[in-house]
Amino acid sequence: MAAAEVANERAITVTVNGTRFERRVEARKLLIHFLRDDLDLTGSHVGCDTGNCGACSVIVDGTLLKSCMLLAVQADGASIETVEGLADGEELSKLQQAFNDHHALQCGYCTPGMLMSATALLRKNAHPSEEEIRKALQGNICRCTGYWNIFEAVKAAAE
Amino acid sequence: MLLREVGYARPASLGEALETLAADDGARALAGGQTLVNVMKMRAGSPDVLVDLADLQELKGIELGADGTLDIGAMTTYTELIESSEARARPILGEVCAQIADVQVRNRGTVGGNACTNDPTNHLPPVFAALGAEFVVRGQGGERVVPAADFFLGVYMTAAAQDELLTRIRVPAGRRDGFAAVTLGVDGTCIVSAAAALNGGVSLAIGCVDAVPVRLEPESTDPEAVREAVRAAKLDPPSDVHASSDYRRHLAEVLAVRAVQQAEGRS
Amino acid sequence: MTTTVAPEKVEAPERTWSGQSVPRKEDRRLVQGQGVFVDDVKRHGMGYLHFVRSPYAHAHISAIDVSQAEAMPGVYGTLTGEEVAALTDPFFQISSAPGANLKDYALAVGKVRYVGEPVVAVVAETRERARDASELVEVEYDPLPPVVDARRACDADTPVLHEEAEGNLMWHGVYEWGDLDGAFSEADRIVRIDELHFHRFNSTPLECDGALVEYNRGTGQWTIHTNNQFPGFAAIMMGPAMRCGLDKLRFVTQDIGGGFGNKITSHPQLVVCCLLARKLNRPVQWTEWRTDFHLSMSHGNERWFLDTEVAVKNDGTLLGFRTKALDDAGAWLRYEPLGGVIWAQVTPGMYRWRHVRVDFTQVATTKAPVSPNRGYSRLQHLWFTERVIDIVAHELDLDPVEVRKRNYIRAEEMPYETPNGCVYDSGDYARMLDVALDLIGYDEIAARRADAEARGKLLGVGIGSTLDSGTNNFGQSRLINPELQFSGNNEVATVKLDIFGEIVVTLGTTPQGQGHETTAAQVVADILRCSVDDVHVRAGHDSYWNSHAGFSGTYASQFAVTGLSAVKGATEMLAGEIKKLASAVLQCPVDGLELAEGTVRIRDNPEVALPFMACGAIVNANNAGLPEDLDVTLNCRYVYRPPFQVPDVERKFGNLTLTYAAQIHVAVVEIDPETGYYDIVDYAAVDDCGKRINPQIVEGQVMGAAAQALGAVVHEQYVYDEDGNLLTPNFYDYHVPHALDMPPLKTGYVEMPSPFTPLGTKGMGEGGGAGIHAVCAALQDALRGRGGAIVWDSANPYHRVWEMLQRPQEAGGRVTVADA
Repeated sequence: MAAAEVANERAITVTVNGTRFERRVEARKLLIHFLRDDLDLTGSHVGCDTGNCGACSVIVDGTLLKSCMLLAVQADGASIETVEGLADGEELSKLQQAFNDHHALQCGYCTPGMLMSATALLRKNAHPSEEEIRKALQGNICRCTGYWNIFEAVKAAAE
Repeated sequence: MLLREVGYARPASLGEALETLAADDGARALAGGQTLVNVMKMRAGSPDVLVDLADLQELKGIELGADGTLDIGAMTTYTELIESSEARARPILGEVCAQIADVQVRNRGTVGGNACTNDPTNHLPPVFAALGAEFVVRGQGGERVVPAADFFLGVYMTAAAQDELLTRIRVPAGRRDGFAAVTLGVDGTCIVSAAAALNGGVSLAIGCVDAVPVRLEPESTDPEAVREAVRAAKLDPPSDVHASSDYRRHLAEVLAVRAVQQAEGRS
Repeated sequence: MTTTVAPEKVEAPERTWSGQSVPRKEDRRLVQGQGVFVDDVKRHGMGYLHFVRSPYAHAHISAIDVSQAEAMPGVYGTLTGEEVAALTDPFFQISSAPGANLKDYALAVGKVRYVGEPVVAVVAETRERARDASELVEVEYDPLPPVVDARRACDADTPVLHEEAEGNLMWHGVYEWGDLDGAFSEADRIVRIDELHFHRFNSTPLECDGALVEYNRGTGQWTIHTNNQFPGFAAIMMGPAMRCGLDKLRFVTQDIGGGFGNKITSHPQLVVCCLLARKLNRPVQWTEWRTDFHLSMSHGNERWFLDTEVAVKNDGTLLGFRTKALDDAGAWLRYEPLGGVIWAQVTPGMYRWRHVRVDFTQVATTKAPVSPNRGYSRLQHLWFTERVIDIVAHELDLDPVEVRKRNYIRAEEMPYETPNGCVYDSGDYARMLDVALDLIGYDEIAARRADAEARGKLLGVGIGSTLDSGTNNFGQSRLINPELQFSGNNEVATVKLDIFGEIVVTLGTTPQGQGHETTAAQVVADILRCSVDDVHVRAGHDSYWNSHAGFSGTYASQFAVTGLSAVKGATEMLAGEIKKLASAVLQCPVDGLELAEGTVRIRDNPEVALPFMACGAIVNANNAGLPEDLDVTLNCRYVYRPPFQVPDVERKFGNLTLTYAAQIHVAVVEIDPETGYYDIVDYAAVDDCGKRINPQIVEGQVMGAAAQALGAVVHEQYVYDEDGNLLTPNFYDYHVPHALDMPPLKTGYVEMPSPFTPLGTKGMGEGGGAGIHAVCAALQDALRGRGGAIVWDSANPYHRVWEMLQRPQEAGGRVTVADA
């Protein structure tokens, strides 16, 4: 049985918000840095270095995850959704509009990650309770709002 | 936040994965990455090669045997286990997994990774220890089954060697289990944890108080008997910024009693 | 949970925009990930910077060798302390001696004084490469003993951090007002509190510091894209150090991911970026990672209050107090020792005691440099006054609600002059307390306590009342150092009509989520009588816009006063000019004109109107024939200057802040006595920030401050071991509140406009940390029946609560009560 090929660098193909990209990346490059630095998709953010804050949350092949704990090479062939894909042209998604209505953001730095987590929640559970909303957003740190308005916004979007 | 250079391999089969690990003693298995990638970000540990287990079918899936034994693939994510109807045969597993961190981590983190990392604050080692789980370890030389008591060897160390892979975790049948923890915030890192299983006798395991889960067998479920068993273990837990040794020792007693009571409360 | 503020739809101008919860203009870009935060800015050919940081708390640097790092492919260059010392002068020190003598450079020179201190900077073509190269930098250290306990910092045998200061004492001052001897002889009882400790933490904004700096060789100008929240201060510190005029430092910010005061003192790192941009002839980009931030940036002041004595009457009337405040500044004085005077804005807290003595000492230790953290210095002092109130009530067996009401300054006494000459503008604290108590059902507390007991839990209720003093008089810096030439305050705004009548506003502020674009638009729309949608407020700050002054920035709870007053002033100027222009064009006296619906028109004949578009066009492109003396540009710049005097340095007396917003919080906790774990089961926050321009935004600030306070009191601590290593250097060990940690929240408000501000607003962004005070009080209340430990530390993680249950006398605070 032969060993698998080991490479420090790979060509990868990813689809992000429906657009296909082909790039060469170092194996060590985190997906969040690939999105931000290589693809200029700066909507997803970095807020920590231990995988705690969730500002980097994106959806990969339908699964919500923190893109700071995935290597770009691991996402080869995957379909990725980021905050930049939530609006439909000029029209904000129901969730984005609800965030605006309910003052669920202040500095806006955690917001892309929050929106991805809330989007993932509402796909699985169209009418979540407040407890379910809190559980779904547990991996997204916000320092500005205290979260309460974010819960209200998600509830409103679910109605 | 920025990793050292590393090689990446994505074997298509278990055999290929074992061969890749054996080819370089700086090669490490990459499971969910929810611990390993962070370690690499801090440059606290920098493997030369990452062997991505994502495509190994042999490590996936949960089977429920006729005798009630659960056979859980090491690459089962916490979310998969929580949502698995088979895993409901032993409810404590899903209940504890649901307390780990957050949705994003649960979608990627694996039960095998949790066991093999064996960070003293990890949730699953004490649970597996109390339940008497068995760990199926495969190397190029073959396969062996390691009981929990022999699997957890030290901080970040298990019986699975660098060139081996944990493939399956076998959990015996049972339902009367309990788990209690004091954590850093809700669903946060454990400060002390305790897992109990009542399957005939009382099987107790305390986490966060030693390099590996501390296994105890109190004489009965009576709270005083449980406390006595914990005291007799003469725990010498670490002190750190979250808890003194004394506090951990105290919590061990309290949480052991609560875990046993929770187990008793189940039919 | 309930909040008081529901989202509203914007309404027609019969109502004013001010007072409505207009949805924020900022949100559209932020919810789409289209905000521009500093790390989003890119320049062709930019180099990424990584700092080599000290692994020792205290050490001499004996050698630095960058040759291997520089030889690595992809590395553009490095910078060392030696170069910095040659190219720059030490940063200006606010302090008088001995702190004045510190030699503070942008990189460590000769010595390191805290773990994480930047020593060498490496710039490379990728982030990863810069990080790799930094590992090849060789620094030889001769370790020295660390200094981690501020109480030992001035002992004879404690190592000295800064030889130039001849000791670790940085600043000392004694503040005394009233008649202490008289107060203590009039007292019935004297309550002595050995030690109270306010712990070290900060607000950990989710975005860390960062910059992208470009250098224009031809003009000698640096363009500094950064998220520094007080560019006025940064420029004043950087210019002299870099030996360049301040106009050579252009600061550009757009979106900032939270500041909370923690993004004020990044000027050393910015200097490094500037020097490297010039040296390497390419733009230099710096991203601070979470661990870097925790190790090195802007810890909040850690402060002890030692040997406190309180003079009290038997009925609970507080006459006065004396205390020794010991402040741990960390390794450098960057904004310090202003913390040594800023607390004096709220000397008596909310209370009417007239006789106060504070002996204030600030020392250096081998820890991260302290600098403003939300509530800066008032936070520590107000926690102290609240602890005193609570402890006095506890010891004299009085009702903490009654003691507060007996001693609160009363609404009818406002404006109220404090013992040191500060003037509280307005406030009705007793009423706010009633609202808060009502929100958590205080009348039913006994039943809740019994219910908790039946479940084996200890229930406690605690009050936290606090002030958010806003709009500083920088003249207070002279109480720290009489030779300083700072006083007053200012903020700038410009408002113009463009050629097509577009209303464009620029602000001197640097918002980090406070919604300046929205509230500024509301104020403008009210004056110009148009829609908020017609007002375009430029995002962020750019010193090229010339809408900044010496004190420009967003800090110290002042935007609603300084920023919005500047906007008001500029808009009123513009409105006046529009009318003057229309008067000339429409041949109608100015007082016969009105602004309405985006036009200026004759009040008695509204058909005769000039739309703003016409006004803009006439002045900018069609101005022949206008009267020669018509002094109209439609481009108005206004500098708001609050009415301050220079304080009396001798008596340390004078008004130090213009407005006094207030918050009163009540917390209900349940302790699990077996583990010390506790839950906050009910929580109410009531605020008064004067006139509320946008209620939803104001309430958002209250919520955020409450959440941060809860994080601080339960979990958040910067803890050092005896070697000076930080044990909580990232979010894994430094736990901040997540969604599941939040208690149910009820909010209320009282609106007591400020008589001193153009809009009746009071700045309120910091909040005052009421949550910390309330939870400390609630824990103490819960522990009454189980040993009665006194809560003496602002940090109360589960293990401390457990210790207070186990050993109430040793683990709790030591308090004695004597007859006077």
